[in-house]
Amino acid sequence: MEIFDALMAGFVTAATPANLLWALVGCALGTAVGVLPGIGPAVAVAMLLPITAKVEVTASMIFFAGIYYGAMYGGSTTSILLNTPGETASMVTAMEGNKMAKSGRAGAALATSAIGSFLAGTIATVVVTLFAPYVADFAVRLGPPEYFMLMVLAFTTVSAVLGKSTVRGMTALFVGLGLGCIGMDQISGAARYTLGKPELLDGIDIVLVAVGLFAVAEVLYAAMYEGRTVDTQNKMGRVHMTKLDWKRSIPAWLRGTAIGTPFGCIPAGGTEIPTFLSYAAEKKLAKGDNQAEFGTKGAIEGVAGPEAANNATVTAALIPLLTLGIPTSNTTAVLLGAFQNYGINPGPQLFTTSATLVWALIASLYIGNLMLLVLNLPMVGLWVKLLKVPKPQLYAGILIFATVGAYGMRQSAFDLFLLYAIGMLGVLMRRFDFPTAPVVVGMILGPLAEAQMRNAISIGEGSWLVFLQRPMSVTLVVIVLTVLILPRVMKTLSRRKMARLQQLDA
Amino acid sequence: MSEPIVSLPEPGLHAPGTGTVPAARAQALVGAGVLVTAGALAVGALQIPGDAGYGGVGPNFLPWLVAAVLAVCGGFLIWEALSGGFRSMDDPSGDTRANKQAFVWVSAGLLLNAALIGTVGFILSCTLCYLLAVQGLRRAAGQPAAGTARTWAMDALTGALISAPVFWAFTQFLAINLPGLTQTGWL
Repeated sequence: MEIFDALMAGFVTAATPANLLWALVGCALGTAVGVLPGIGPAVAVAMLLPITAKVEVTASMIFFAGIYYGAMYGGSTTSILLNTPGETASMVTAMEGNKMAKSGRAGAALATSAIGSFLAGTIATVVVTLFAPYVADFAVRLGPPEYFMLMVLAFTTVSAVLGKSTVRGMTALFVGLGLGCIGMDQISGAARYTLGKPELLDGIDIVLVAVGLFAVAEVLYAAMYEGRTVDTQNKMGRVHMTKLDWKRSIPAWLRGTAIGTPFGCIPAGGTEIPTFLSYAAEKKLAKGDNQAEFGTKGAIEGVAGPEAANNATVTAALIPLLTLGIPTSNTTAVLLGAFQNYGINPGPQLFTTSATLVWALIASLYIGNLMLLVLNLPMVGLWVKLLKVPKPQLYAGILIFATVGAYGMRQSAFDLFLLYAIGMLGVLMRRFDFPTAPVVVGMILGPLAEAQMRNAISIGEGSWLVFLQRPMSVTLVVIVLTVLILPRVMKTLSRRKMARLQQLDA
Repeated sequence: MSEPIVSLPEPGLHAPGTGTVPAARAQALVGAGVLVTAGALAVGALQIPGDAGYGGVGPNFLPWLVAAVLAVCGGFLIWEALSGGFRSMDDPSGDTRANKQAFVWVSAGLLLNAALIGTVGFILSCTLCYLLAVQGLRRAAGQPAAGTARTWAMDALTGALISAPVFWAFTQFLAINLPGLTQTGWL
């Protein structure tokens, strides 16, 4: 009942005309950046971070949250209609969605993904509503050793487990941690890597890194390598689902939600695993003709399930962000930066110290999901028109917004040179297939993790054994080791088994 | 060291480079770059005080850790590059060769923007950045009309039409400080 009252109070705050307008603008902008190639939610939020200097905290968080999940809706439109999926989150949707669009069923694919996103987003918001306060209550009891290990878990999953290559993931993570070291050490006040430049004493802003790595790098990459790449667009058709489509979609949506939500709740990043698991589950469960559609004509379950899983994960990822202060993706890392700009540190205390803000934010998720359903079903044709903006003009225009984000933060031309350098780093990372999420997560979470680690060791009176002396912390150590080792052991075992079978065959 | 637990479309073993340098050498150069970064971080870490106070570790602990891990990663990347290429790597999208001309145009736009924004103001500086970047991107796309006077004029106008409202929206409505050519707040 306490939660219900708090949520209702949240609705009262979120439903003021001004906040509703912020939510609507956020959702619309989110859908637009999701649809447009070359710009994603992380960079959109990053470019708009300077508004935190002026706009009131509740309004701006509602606005940013709108961009955050609006982009997930928009992203699926692009992945279904264009032959190039935008981000990893919609990669799996693109596999079947694109095939459906090619066989003239783009409308049904768009409808099932929008309704599935709405359903999964709403269910996951209910989960956030019900569980986040309990997680916060529990998290109050965690000390620095446990916090540090939770952050190590987030680092491990984001860099070593989720990517294709552990060594490239680790490199990216430690580049991010290195960037996070620049500036004044927050415990001792010692200057680190400032090269005598006063501009570097405050550290490198997250806006610079996010905008440089994503927006500037994307524009440079497009100019250098993709000038002659021609995107072909599938025909849209009427956005409509038949009775059979509904019958096939509903269980897939629910299964996708059930798979995605728990993945979002744990501080382990990425939507790749839940979306892929959901796809695999749908493919396995489909029978007869429906199964034959997978990979050929495009099966609607293969869009409905992963899309629901994606949105459920993304929404539930707000639990670790709000209750533990641990971001697990690019966008949540930038959102954490937004909180920090207001001097608010997300964590277990947030639910008591900033209850109005948190509950208004959660209430806005319900409202935003509803807005997005309307924005994306009847009005999908409008967004598709965005795909007609010619690439040179679109990409050059992105640079103007990148300048606002990077310069508006500190009014320093030095930052614009730095932005260019980070953009070049982004081009190299993209060319050689280094993941970018670990850089951003490492940079923003690194200083926090370092502080927790040093506090933990102080508690242990200088001994590292403190991490093994507390039950919760030692459990987390075991989990981190399992996450690191288990996939490798499994792979080695299956390789040996294959080799043995081949020997037997020979 | 490179086991994906999600087998997204398996790209196999590829070793793409920048197109101008053989793949293995380009990848080895990336590994060497990581090694050099590690070295630079280590040199920088020497200058950070190590006084740990009450804690067991001081402000130089993380920098040393980062330098050490990056050194190991750099070494590993070089080894991968020289023994068949980076593992589990997707083919990079787009052309195999970088379009240097387009790169120079876009870079010029970005760097001139950084150099001029304080003196000529946001609107003019961003218009110039847009103009140069769009010219580069047009040339990359092989648009024959890129260099004509009409296209230049159109692009300059479009750049100004985006920059000016952005400047006004951010300075007038959101009170964000962006540099102007004049003190009026409109240019």
